[in-house]
Amino acid sequence: MATRRTFIKVLGGGAALLMTPAEKLAGLSLPGEDPTTFAVVRGGDPAAAVRKAVDMLGGMGSFVKTGDVVFVKPNISWDRRPEQAATTNPAVVETVVAMVREAGASRIIVADNACNEARRTYKTSGIREAAERAGAEVPFMEKRKFRMIDLGGEVMKDWEVYTEAIEADKIINLPVAKHHGLSNVTLSMKNLMGLIGGRRDLLHQKLPECVVDLTAFFKPALTILDAVRLLRVNGPQGGTLGDVVRLDTIAASTDQVKIDAFGISLFEGAEFDTNPLSFPHVRIAQAKGLGSADFRGRGYAEIKL
Amino acid sequence: MAKMKNIRRLSQILFLVVFLVLFIQTEYKGEDELGLPVRLFLDFDPLIALSSILASHAARAVFLLSLITIALTVLLGRFFCGWLCPLGTMNTAVGYVRMRRRSKSPDGAGFPRLRKVKYFVLVFVLSAALFGWNAAGFLDPISLTIRSLAIGFNPAVNGIARSALEFLYSLNIPGVSGAFDALYSKMTGTVLAFEQPVFRQMILIASIFAAILALNFAAPRFWCRYLCPLGALLGLVGSKQMLARVDVDGAKCISCRKCNRSCQGEATPFPSGNWASRECLLCYNCREICPVKAVAIHPTMKETGEGNVDLQRRRLLAAGAAALVTVPLVRFGEHHKRPDPSLIRPPGAIPEPEFLQTCVKCGECMKVCLTNGLQPALTQAGFEGLWTPMLVPRLGYCEYNCNLCSQVCPTGAIAGLTLEEKQRIRIGLAFFDRNRCIPYSMGRNCGVCEEHCPAPGKAIKFREVEGIGRDGAPFALKLPEVDPALCIGCGICENKCPIVDKPGVRVSSINESRAEYKLYL
Repeated sequence: MATRRTFIKVLGGGAALLMTPAEKLAGLSLPGEDPTTFAVVRGGDPAAAVRKAVDMLGGMGSFVKTGDVVFVKPNISWDRRPEQAATTNPAVVETVVAMVREAGASRIIVADNACNEARRTYKTSGIREAAERAGAEVPFMEKRKFRMIDLGGEVMKDWEVYTEAIEADKIINLPVAKHHGLSNVTLSMKNLMGLIGGRRDLLHQKLPECVVDLTAFFKPALTILDAVRLLRVNGPQGGTLGDVVRLDTIAASTDQVKIDAFGISLFEGAEFDTNPLSFPHVRIAQAKGLGSADFRGRGYAEIKL
Repeated sequence: MAKMKNIRRLSQILFLVVFLVLFIQTEYKGEDELGLPVRLFLDFDPLIALSSILASHAARAVFLLSLITIALTVLLGRFFCGWLCPLGTMNTAVGYVRMRRRSKSPDGAGFPRLRKVKYFVLVFVLSAALFGWNAAGFLDPISLTIRSLAIGFNPAVNGIARSALEFLYSLNIPGVSGAFDALYSKMTGTVLAFEQPVFRQMILIASIFAAILALNFAAPRFWCRYLCPLGALLGLVGSKQMLARVDVDGAKCISCRKCNRSCQGEATPFPSGNWASRECLLCYNCREICPVKAVAIHPTMKETGEGNVDLQRRRLLAAGAAALVTVPLVRFGEHHKRPDPSLIRPPGAIPEPEFLQTCVKCGECMKVCLTNGLQPALTQAGFEGLWTPMLVPRLGYCEYNCNLCSQVCPTGAIAGLTLEEKQRIRIGLAFFDRNRCIPYSMGRNCGVCEEHCPAPGKAIKFREVEGIGRDGAPFALKLPEVDPALCIGCGICENKCPIVDKPGVRVSSINESRAEYKLYL
């Protein structure tokens, strides 16, 4: 039976609905449904897919406030071309930078601590050009700009961190989904290794624990997974186009554990177990309360463009 | 009318600036192709061309450029030394101090008897080249200067500039630190190197160059007058110097000897008829200092005297003979029978015997190397291979998508390669030291080498075995193995190995494409 209270509620909801810009409607939950916290967009060109995914989460404005300094962290680690899918798709980076700028950020920094020669990776990946075009600063991570910080992690204590990343108001994590020889996959949590300096090579011996510590420390405001192309084998560098499949998939969430669990599911049919919980870093992160491996649970929304 | 001396000085400064700019630009600038003719001075250097042709019996089209230098020298004498040579200009600058000081000799400070030494040096160097040892690059002024600046001084200059900028940045003064921060970022990769360069033998190579400059305190332009083999070559080629001969009018001359004292090359214009054309650097000092305008420099068919030093044919033959004796000592060493395993040559290096005959040790490849991995050899290639380039993976690996070294090599010792060709060339092969490699020796995962291996399909592959953790729980232990069919020896595995002192994987020169006898598979 309709009471006066429900009547007012419906009325108010309807008014709110009418005042919402059309582009935000897609992400708006209907009464009785959870708001979208994990958005997947399949198909479409990368730029449109990224815009859609972020809008499904409520728009960039829910993550970036006017005047924010935003650090965007794509994967620019390798001297590989975009089609080789070892680095984040430049169109994804460009779109995110543009959206962050539209949301009113005062300064946008795009950088990565590269494994190959940084001048080459910034160029070959196409990311420097794309990010600068969209209005970001794209500096090289110079050694002097790292600072020793107590990360307070399980295994990562005092470590060198890129100063501009911790001084930024928000970090947006832009990993590319890839195979990785040691950890089988490299997704959002491992991508944060590009924000630290020092002897990163030592971390491989306790890789899952380390990437979880980094996730807990950096707490990115938003993570957007680039699976436009997926490097299925011979990662994280690849080099052969035969190792790459085109998925045209973008996932966005604030929950990095979900992102990684979703990313793992993209490898279905690989020679390793694609159950997210078979990955130590997912298990540890979930146990620490950093997120949930059940990405298909509440808040999941998927759209095909 | 502008004084010729000043025009000459302007030319010297201009060409030194061009030289230094090209030197600084010998670095990756964001494009696969360097774009600038960074080896320009070497291309116009006839001694580099001649010694390479004599030693390797192979000519390159680019050597034709040095014919332009030769042709101009026939007409103008050693204008190259006086107007262009960067080392000559540096010697002029330092030698100026000595030039101004009073000397006991009425003709100024000098060692006239030493002037012939450079011709012996030239004969030695060319004879050695003829017998198969390319020694010209050790003493050629262009090669010598580039090498000394690249290996000896560039690291020092960079180190000083960086420490200064970093200090000012670290002061943390509002405004000031920010300004120096911006300046630092602007300067690295442009004026300064992108990363602080590090070179083996830095002090040795810098000291030799410093000593050459210091010799100017004994006599101005000591190197140019007495030692430089390129100066000797140009002196011989240009001894007719038909367009610009120094002509002293004996009737006007008041015997003040100012011309001799001011002469850069110790060419003794006084007394009239004593002018040594081979020593003349066309500096115009004599004409401009003469108080009675008795000195003319002009094209003339008139006999203006020839005071050239007697080269003493017997001594020239002795210099040639010395080369004949020295070359076997240098060449038939251990390195020809058993090359040093650490001698990893840059990709595109021609087979070792020809490489040694062709490389002039100019250091261009080491300057341009993206990772600073190319280093001057000491004894690894025998004495004849001193200062030739070798890859030291612990200091820097060979970047997969880079072929800059082959772009700057002036003699073709590193053959020009497309990137696709370069990526197929094997310069060595990686081997795991199972006693040190972490998964083998400590039973835990690492895999940094496999992660970095750039070869498509991975030359380092994991073999998965069951490991037992300290807690007794089994886990997948990934043991890295090398696939010799895919490994190109780039050395990134050795470079990135977390065991920073003595790595768990090392590259040696076995299996390099250019040497069939070294094939591994």
